[in-house]
Formats: sequence, structure tokens, C-alpha cells
Amino acid sequence: MLSAEKLSKAVDGPDGRLLILDEVSLSVERGASLAIVGASGSGKTTLLGLLAGLDRPTSGSVTLAGEPLDRLDEEARARVRRRLVGFVFQSFHLLPALNAEENVMLPLELEGRRDARQRAASVLADVGLGKRLHHYPHQLSGGEQQRVALARAFVHGPQLLFADEPTGNLDQRTGAAVSDLLFALNREHATTLVLVSHDLDLAARCARLLRLRDGRVVEDDA
Amino acid sequence: MNPLVFAARSLRREFRHGELATLAAALVLAVAALTAVGTLASRVEGAILASATELLGGDLGVVARRTPLPESFSSKAAELGLSSSRSVEFSSVVFAGDKSQFSEVRSVDDSYPLRGALLVKDAAGIQRSAPAPASGQAYADRAVLNTLGRSVGDHLQIGGRDLQIMGEIVSAPGGPVFQFAPTVLMNTVDAEASGLLGTGSRASFRILVAGPLDAVGDYASWARANLPASARLITVAEAQANLRNSFERGENFLRLAALLAALLAGIAVALAAQRFARRKTEEVAVLRCLGASRNEIVLGLGFELLLLAVPACILGALLGLGMQEIAFVFARELLGATSGTVPLAPAGSAFVVGLAVLFGFALPPLMRLRDVEPMRVFRRDLQTRLRRFDALYLLPFAVGGLLVLLESGSTQLAGVLAAGLGAVAVATWIVTVIMLKGLRAISRRLPGALRFGLANLNRRRGLTLIQVGALALSLTALDLLAVIGPSLLDRWRADLPPDTPNYFVLNLQSDQRAEFDQRLQALGADNLSLLPLAAGKLVAINGKNVRPSDFEPDSRAGNFVEGEVRVSWSADLPPSNRVIDGRWPGAESKGAEVSVDKSWIDLFHLGLGDTITLRFAEQEITATVTSVREVDWDSFRVNFFMMLDQVHGESLPHSLISSFHLPADKALSDLSRAMPNLSLIDVNSILDRVRDIIGRVSAAVTWVLGFSLAAGILVLLAALAATAEERRFEIALLRTLGANSGQLNAAVLGEFAVLGLLAGLVAAAGAAGTGIALARNVFRMAEYAPPLLQLGLVALASAIIVMLAGLAGTRRIAGTPPMLVLRHGT
Ligand SMILES: Nc1ncnc2c1ncn2[C@@H]1O[C@H](COP(=O)(O)OP(=O)(O)O)[C@@H](O)[C@H]1O
Ligand SMILES: [Mg+2]
Repeated sequence: MLSAEKLSKAVDGPDGRLLILDEVSLSVERGASLAIVGASGSGKTTLLGLLAGLDRPTSGSVTLAGEPLDRLDEEARARVRRRLVGFVFQSFHLLPALNAEENVMLPLELEGRRDARQRAASVLADVGLGKRLHHYPHQLSGGEQQRVALARAFVHGPQLLFADEPTGNLDQRTGAAVSDLLFALNREHATTLVLVSHDLDLAARCARLLRLRDGRVVEDDA
Repeated sequence: MNPLVFAARSLRREFRHGELATLAAALVLAVAALTAVGTLASRVEGAILASATELLGGDLGVVARRTPLPESFSSKAAELGLSSSRSVEFSSVVFAGDKSQFSEVRSVDDSYPLRGALLVKDAAGIQRSAPAPASGQAYADRAVLNTLGRSVGDHLQIGGRDLQIMGEIVSAPGGPVFQFAPTVLMNTVDAEASGLLGTGSRASFRILVAGPLDAVGDYASWARANLPASARLITVAEAQANLRNSFERGENFLRLAALLAALLAGIAVALAAQRFARRKTEEVAVLRCLGASRNEIVLGLGFELLLLAVPACILGALLGLGMQEIAFVFARELLGATSGTVPLAPAGSAFVVGLAVLFGFALPPLMRLRDVEPMRVFRRDLQTRLRRFDALYLLPFAVGGLLVLLESGSTQLAGVLAAGLGAVAVATWIVTVIMLKGLRAISRRLPGALRFGLANLNRRRGLTLIQVGALALSLTALDLLAVIGPSLLDRWRADLPPDTPNYFVLNLQSDQRAEFDQRLQALGADNLSLLPLAAGKLVAINGKNVRPSDFEPDSRAGNFVEGEVRVSWSADLPPSNRVIDGRWPGAESKGAEVSVDKSWIDLFHLGLGDTITLRFAEQEITATVTSVREVDWDSFRVNFFMMLDQVHGESLPHSLISSFHLPADKALSDLSRAMPNLSLIDVNSILDRVRDIIGRVSAAVTWVLGFSLAAGILVLLAALAATAEERRFEIALLRTLGANSGQLNAAVLGEFAVLGLLAGLVAAAGAAGTGIALARNVFRMAEYAPPLLQLGLVALASAIIVMLAGLAGTRRIAGTPPMLVLRHGT
């Protein structure tokens, strides 16, 4: 489903060139779940961005659902994401100008689907927000916002879900509820999951664990 | 994604966020200002035409000397559906009892006047508009009545015909402003019966036509083809020469105000769009993450702008139409002659310009959103890579330049404004760069909070440059509107001070001078000027004979060659004359010298050192051009195209021409009785008319300037609020680190005071320079000095306003808990 070959990423900083990811290779089977863990600054988010095709590696390659990402241009990568990928972010990233329903409709609208509104309403009902359809992000709590984000991530039935510290901005109880929901939806949709977290309890719910330190894979229990 | 639906939805939400509201408000203001001014200008233009046809007495005239125009000139007019009127002008002696007076007589037919009104005073001294004199009737002016010792109701005789005086002429349409007004008006039937118009008379015959514009045009081309040798066309343009200047100045003022309003709006749009783009960045990153393509994003933004712009432009156009209606109230009487319909074309073009301003100024920052990297969803601080050179950034300048060119209506106004604003932009850039360097050097010695504030200026160098530049440009526009505009208007009003000459006297002989002086003194006349006048013909230029046939028929040059040339001389350069090339011939000149008006130099392609040969009766003079003068023809003084050196001038047969100002309550009847050979020309009514125009047009202009100014201040405050908003994050951070409000204020005040003072000073200097250039090249006013003290005070005031606006904007932010800001980022 997803594989990476010797991914490296270097950035030019004020103190010269900095290697933040060093020849990371991995592969994930369809329907599997992978947790990427590591200390803050170890390169988890960078790796996730590369796997999802949000950024280009300095060297190495990524294949997503058979598509060689590094050989596609930014527009083509966007089309791949639109079709196959869902995202959940640490800071939710709901569009403040849109209400819950409209936020969830977005991926469907991007695909040009006509049943966007009904689908969005039904998925929002699934995450327990059926009565909050017309609330704006600032009228929702953090946990509720993340549930809207989950609905948005699953609404178009993606094959792959990327989640970057999905509970990082939430208190423990809310976080637990959100991660329960995440795994439930994941099971229900049979989605392949790549999850980044420094929370080992959350990571433990994934089938497989990859540990990064200073941009290098130090543990892979595949 | 359907970009249109998405755009509509975004628009609805984001309107409440403020940036879009600022954008819309700026657009509404720009379109309103352009609509108001464009409509007003076009109505004023209509009024100029109408008032000129009034002066001319018709829409087009044909004048022939000595022989009447053929009958076909009347029948052709009738055939084209035009009304026509014939008149004859001649000199004749008017008798009454034992008294007589040599007068300029005009005889007219029953359809006189075709345009405008004949104003007379009846026996009771009440002014009314009167019909053409019937057979057996006449009107006469005050001077004639005084000399003859007759009043309204009495009789006078011309060419043996006895005519009853039906009224005293106040004003009679039918000729260019400064042509000698008729002193007696009678019916052509009587003139023909008297035999005064027989062959050999020095009469000039005129036909005036009026009617639909295209029919007048057809008539003009027919007349040109069938013109008898001695005849020429008189167009409206000639008749209005004098008033035109006043109107043109007024129009230039209006356009200046509208342009500045539009440019201010453009700056506001650019700043608002930049702020909008910044806020939109994260949304775009999320959308990119979810798989939206670049084109969808750009299309969505474009639609959003369009959905915003169309209603804003419509609203602006409506508002502008309403405003010009208010301004029109000031000028209603002046423009009363025009039809009541409001031209809609200016509103239409303002609408288009509004769209151009929006897209021109808003597109560059918004197009940068194309390049937002999706990785930004993880790293807020990820800067969108700035391309070193982005051609899009030339767009606002192109649109601004085009705007100046199209809306200014004159290349001079466009050039001066573009140069002025361009210089301000460049100067701001240089001064800011130097200041930033200087600040870096001294920052170590500044107290902490202040250092932080000023360090910010250096940290966001690009942004600082944009902000100071935008601030300086808008302050320049404000200075021009608030200080330079009104002071130019004052200078214009001062063009015709109360003691402007209101009488001209011709035909004064040298030996009458002493008596003339003494009588005028007794009457309390002032501002007296006396110049010799010799009438001759232009025979040769550089030894080469000139004939009327050398020039286009009806051309100005041809008319000069054909007609009389009046020359004068004086030891000193007369007032309202300026030597722009060469030197004024002193009293000690050896050869004959002549000083020529600039327009003549251009007309006959002359240069210093060329010679002009003039014939005066039997005498011929060949004079060398030794200076070029620029003459203020609006000064209501006696002025001449050619002035000879004194030595050679004195040798010519000449009379004197005088102008002076006579207080309103004094009359010249005693003077004209004692010196009957004098021709008196009363220009009080034309003076009143020009003063009236200046008064009304400047009232309308003041209104538009004020409106543009208010719009500009609003725009500036909105821009400053946006600038303050950008400091949210830093202020929240300082707050978190425990800074108290005093320290916060010091940081913000220091930063904004530097921004404001810098921009204010550059703007004041720029406005002063632009004002001088405007006065000289656009409004043609000599000796204009911009009010520097006022500009300095405005610069100081703008620094304070910028500081307070910055403080107010930050206050609001400082009131919110820092965590909220930090959490939600920019
Ligand atoms: N664009 C960039 N420029 C400079 N440094 C970067 C950039 N992106 C990431 N880094 C650095 O790379 C390291 C890894 O970052 P990140 O992948 O966000 O780590 P994590 O998500 O594991 O906390 C950090 O030290 C971060 O500062
Ligand atoms: Mg991270």
C-alpha cells in the first residue's frame, strides 16, 4: 500500500545544512496500521509529510497505492491525496470560515460529488455530532473539533489515513475518546493507518511500531 | 470542487472577518469618487459648451466682410433643419437732437438670439430678457445713452431712420467675449432701408445657426466648401476661449481629487489583500493537503474577488451618482443650461476601473497563495518561498499608471502625478533602508522595550518597506488633498482680486492723457495701466512674404495674417508677462526688436533671431525677435502678442489703450461725454461671470476634495489597524514573558512613531514638490508657493495619528489573553 525507499531530507539552516531524516525505509500493507514514535524533534512529522507527498525528499522515493510520488508533480500528488488519503492533525485544522458540516463536505466537494451534504451529515452523526452540524469551529471544544476532523478524514472513504499527534492538543480523557473513535472508524473503513505520536499508549494500539531518533530508524518491529 | 460555490461560501463567512470588508469599503470609495467626479466633469463639460453657444449666440457662425453671405447659407440651414439668424455689424454715427456719437451698431433679424438671451434694462431700470428689436425699435448701451443725453423711451436716428429706444443693453450674445460689444442694436430691415449696408460699407455680415449637433456638423462642412473669399467660420471653441480656462482648471481639480481617491483606495486594497492572503494561507495549506489543485485555489480566489467586487462597484457607482447630485447643487445655476439628464458613461467606466483596481492591487498577494506548500499544515512558520522577482508585482504599478493616464484627462496631470508619486516611492525606499541601517547601529543603546519595537522593523525588513511605502504614498495623497489642493484653490481665486480691471478704454490720444488721468483719479479708479497701440499688418517673416493663402483657411495663423495685428511697447515688462527666453528690449536698443508671445512663436514656428516685418500705414518695420514671453491671458489686463522696443514703437502712429478698475458705484458717463472719441468697454459682466464660475466650480471641488480626504483617512486607518494586527503574536509573546502595558506601549509607540514620522516627512516633501509642479504645468499659475509650515504640521500630525492608530490596534490585542493568540497563531 505504502512503501518508502531510503528517504532522506536535508534543510539549509542558519548553521549550515541539517540532515533531519536519514535513509528511512519502510513499507505498510493494505489495512495495516503503523505507529511512528520518537522524541520531539526526531523527525516524525517530516517523515509523515514525505510519506503523504506533502513535501519532496532530498533523496529516496515513496510509492503510495502504486503511485510513485517522486515522479509526480505537485498537482498530480494533490490528485492522489484527494482520491486516496485522509488527514488528522494535532491542531485540527478545520477551516474557521466553514461550519462543521461544510468542513466535512470539503473532500467530497473537491471530488465533485453531488451527495456531499448527506454524506457529511451521516458521518458527523457517526462521530456523535449529528446535532452540531451548523456550528463553527470556534463554537466547538477541542475534542469536538477533532471529531469533526475525523469525520472529514473518513468521509470520502480514503485508503490511507495519516494522523499526526491526533490527541496532542487534548486532555487525557478527551484524547482517549478521540483515539477510540479513530481506531473504530479505521476498523470500520478498513483503512491503512499511519499514526505519529510520542504517546506510547496510543502507539501501542497500532499493529506495528517504528521508532525514530535523530532522523534515523532505531527500532522497527516489523 | 465547484470553485464558484466554494467562493460564494467563503465570501459570506470571510466578509465578517474584516479584511474583505476593508477591501470592499476601499473599492466602494474608489468607484464612488470616480463616478462622482467623472459625472460632474462631464456635466461641467456640457455646461462649457452651452455657455459658449450662449456667448456666440448660436452653435456655429459664418462671418463675411463687406459683402453679405449668399442666400444659400440660409436655405442650406433650413434644409438641414437648423434655425438660423442673420446679423450685420457696422460703424455709424448715431444722432439725437444736436448730439451725436460714433457707435458700433449691430442689426439683427427677428430670430435673434438663437442661443442665450438678450438682457436689457427697461425705463424703470429693471433687467429683463428682451426679444430682437422690431422695425422702428433699438436698444443702446449706457455710454451711448449718456453721450446722447437720452433715456429708454426716447428716440434716436441712424442713417436717417428714426428709432425708439426700447431698453438699455446689459448683455447681447453674438460674439467672442472680448470683441467689441455692440453699443446699438437695431433691426436689419431698418439698416437696409437706411442704405448703410450698401457696397463699400465696412460692415461684417454674420449668420448663426443652431440645432442638432450632427446637422450643425453637416452645415459646417457644407459652409467650408462654399465659403466666399472674405468669409470664415466661427466655432464654439473660439467663442469660449476665455471661460474655457476657468472650466478646465476646475475640471483638473476634480480629476486630481478623484485620482488621488482612487489611488488611495488602490493602496488600501493592496494592504487589505495582503492581510487577507496572510490569513488565508493556512486554509490554502489545508485545502492543498486535502488535494485541491492550484488552479482550483486560484479560481476560487478569483471568483471570490469577483463576487465581492461586482456588488461593491455597483454600490460605489450609486453612491457616486448620489454624491455628484449633491455637489451639483453648488453649481446648479452655473450648469443650469445643460439638460437635466445625468450621463451614465462615467459611472460605467468607474465600475470598470474599480474592477481593475481590485484585481490589479489584490491579485499579486493572492496569487502568492498558489505557492503555499502543503507542509505548512505541520509547520506554521514555514515561509512561502518568495520568488526573487515576481512580474505580478508590476501589476499594481501598471494599473496605477494606467489609471492616472486614463482618468487624468490630461497628460500633464498624469505626468506630474506619476512623477510625484514615483519620486515619493523611491525616496521612501532609500530613506527607510538608511534608517534601518542606522537603527541597527544604535539599537544596543536603546532601552529594552523600545529596542524590541525597533528591532521588529529590521526583522521584517520587507514588510517594513512595504508599509512605510504605502503609508508615505497615502500620506502624500492626503497632503495633496488636504493642504495643496485648497491652497491651489486659494491661489486660483486670487487670480481675479477685487481690483481687477473692469473697464477698457480704446482710442485714447496722447494729448488726452493728462485729462484722462485726472478724471479717472477723481472717480477713484485704480490699477490703471496705459499702453500705446498701433495697428498694422504682418507682411513678412524672415524676409519672406506671408499671405493668408499660405495657411489653412480658418486657421488661427491665417486669421492673424488676414486681420490686423495690434502691437505695443513699453520700457518695462508689463505685469502678467514673463520672459521665458532671450531678454526684454531695453530703452537703449539699436536695431528694431520685438518680443513675441509663446503661442505666436509656436504658431509661426519662430525662434530668437528671426525677423518679422510689419506695415503700419505707409511705414514698414522689420524687427528681430529678441525675447519670448509667456502671457497670462486670464489676467484681464491689456496684453499683446507682439511688443516692439520703445524707440521704434514711438515712431509709429498710435493711440493709447487703457485698463483700470472702477468701483461699482461710479459711472463713466461724464468721461465719455467729455471725451466722445473714446471707446469704453465694460467687462464687469464677463468678470462677474468668470468669478461666478470660479466660485461655483471651486465650491464643487472643495466638496470633492473633502470627500476624497475623508475616504483617504478611513483607508489609512484601516491599513494601520491591519498593521497593528500583524503584531498580535509578538505582543502576546511579550505579555507571556511578563511585559507590562507600559513596556508594550513603549515598544509599539517607538515602532509606529518612526514609521509615521518617516512616511510623514517624505510625504510632505513629495506633496510640496508635486504641488509646485501641478501649479506650474497643470494649472498654469505663476508664483505658487506651497504652504510649508502647514505641510510640516500635517507631517507631525500624521506621525501622531499613525502612533495612536497603532496603539489603538494593539490595545485591542493586548486585551485578549496571550494564550489565545499563541494557540491560534497569526
Ligand atoms: N523546514 C525546516 N527547516 C529547518 N528545520 C526543520 C524544518 N523542518 C523540520 N526541521 C527540523 O527537523 C527536526 C525534526 O522536525 P519534526 O519532523 O517536526 O520533528 P517531530 O515531528 O518529530 O517533533 C526538528 O529539529 C526541526 O526543527
Ligand atoms: Mg511533529
